[in-house]
Amino acid sequence: MSVAAGAARDPEHQALAALERGDREEALTILMEAFGAPLYRYCRQMVGDPDLANDVHQTTFLQAYEALSRSRPRGSPRSWLFGIARHRCLDALKASRRRRRRFEPVDDPPDLADSGIDAEERLVVTAFSRVLERCLGNLVPRARAAVLLRYQSGVSYPEMAAICHERPATLQARVARALPVLRRCLEGQGFSL
Amino acid sequence: MNPCGRFEHEGLLLLERGLPLDEHFDTCPDCLQARQAYQRLQGELATAGARYRPPAGWQSRVRAAVAARKARRPGWRLRLMIPAGVAAALVLLVLLVPDREPIPVALHAEIELGSGDVRRGHEPHPGDVLRLRGTTGGAPHAELRVYLNDVELVLRCSTAAPCRRREESLQASVLLDSIGSYQPVLLVSDRPLPEPLATLDDDAAGAIAAGARIAMGRQIDVR
Repeated sequence: MSVAAGAARDPEHQALAALERGDREEALTILMEAFGAPLYRYCRQMVGDPDLANDVHQTTFLQAYEALSRSRPRGSPRSWLFGIARHRCLDALKASRRRRRRFEPVDDPPDLADSGIDAEERLVVTAFSRVLERCLGNLVPRARAAVLLRYQSGVSYPEMAAICHERPATLQARVARALPVLRRCLEGQGFSL
Repeated sequence: MNPCGRFEHEGLLLLERGLPLDEHFDTCPDCLQARQAYQRLQGELATAGARYRPPAGWQSRVRAAVAARKARRPGWRLRLMIPAGVAAALVLLVLLVPDREPIPVALHAEIELGSGDVRRGHEPHPGDVLRLRGTTGGAPHAELRVYLNDVELVLRCSTAAPCRRREESLQASVLLDSIGSYQPVLLVSDRPLPEPLATLDDDAAGAIAAGARIAMGRQIDVR
């Protein structure tokens, strides 16, 4: 496959080409098809609550569409979308924190009795996944965002720096500090790695 | 004796920065073990939350929100007038006719119990009836549709039964006879509406592309 043919199939190039033609609706459709699912997963794990995640996810694309009327995304459309989603998630968390605390604090992880996971269920993989998600939820939002972008969305540090408007070194240190917190949280729930 | 913590304190950051680890990390058993543990953790993180999927019909809701915002926005001529000042605006008002703002369309949904009572905010059950009332803004073409699970069209009407059209209102009822998610949609347009072909997402995209305006009612989950 030629480079040109590969680029033609790449949704980011397709979206940019649609914008060149002035077709914002087509660009929105391509972006929703290509990045709707990974962005939803990111939003869902960032905010923890399904209704809030739905709102943030849809607001991300609505805001993206409106921004496209003013300018084209700088750099990769994927990074640009993740940047919008990250801002919306942090805003939503800030607003919801005023109403109620969605996650337990980092230094006070929930005990097993409160987690709703019994000893038998703990043995299965899904239980591990749920505990891992709970531990992710215990991280402070900016650390959670960095870990998810790095290890779930596979975003490079230069790309993450563009998304978060922070230096790569700051983000690298944040992820390196967050991983031991996650490990200890898992161990505190009875899961050793 | 406490285990060596160098991997957590130094090794992790070195790896995140893409830098090489020194000899210690190849020989220290604690550090080797820690490195393996973090590799497993990173693998688990890659698959965490993989079960989360966006809700069905989300693309249609984004498109409907886009269409609704477009409908609310004043025409470009009107927007140009705002900063021009009162005197200039008066002149421009004479010279330029602002774009006609579309009359907003809206869709209200109510659940009628099998017994005939109306209730709001409760979980509907099979046998209940969904009553829809749309405001068409006087558009010449208007249609009510209800999709089940975003893929099956269970109601589609305009002027004929079960729809009732009166001036700017369009009403219909549909029996909720299956468990699932019902999505009511009102489409209005100055031109004939395109035929529904496939899913809610595709039909909504086609209608918007054809110049229609869409109002989505709240999704009704029948359990």
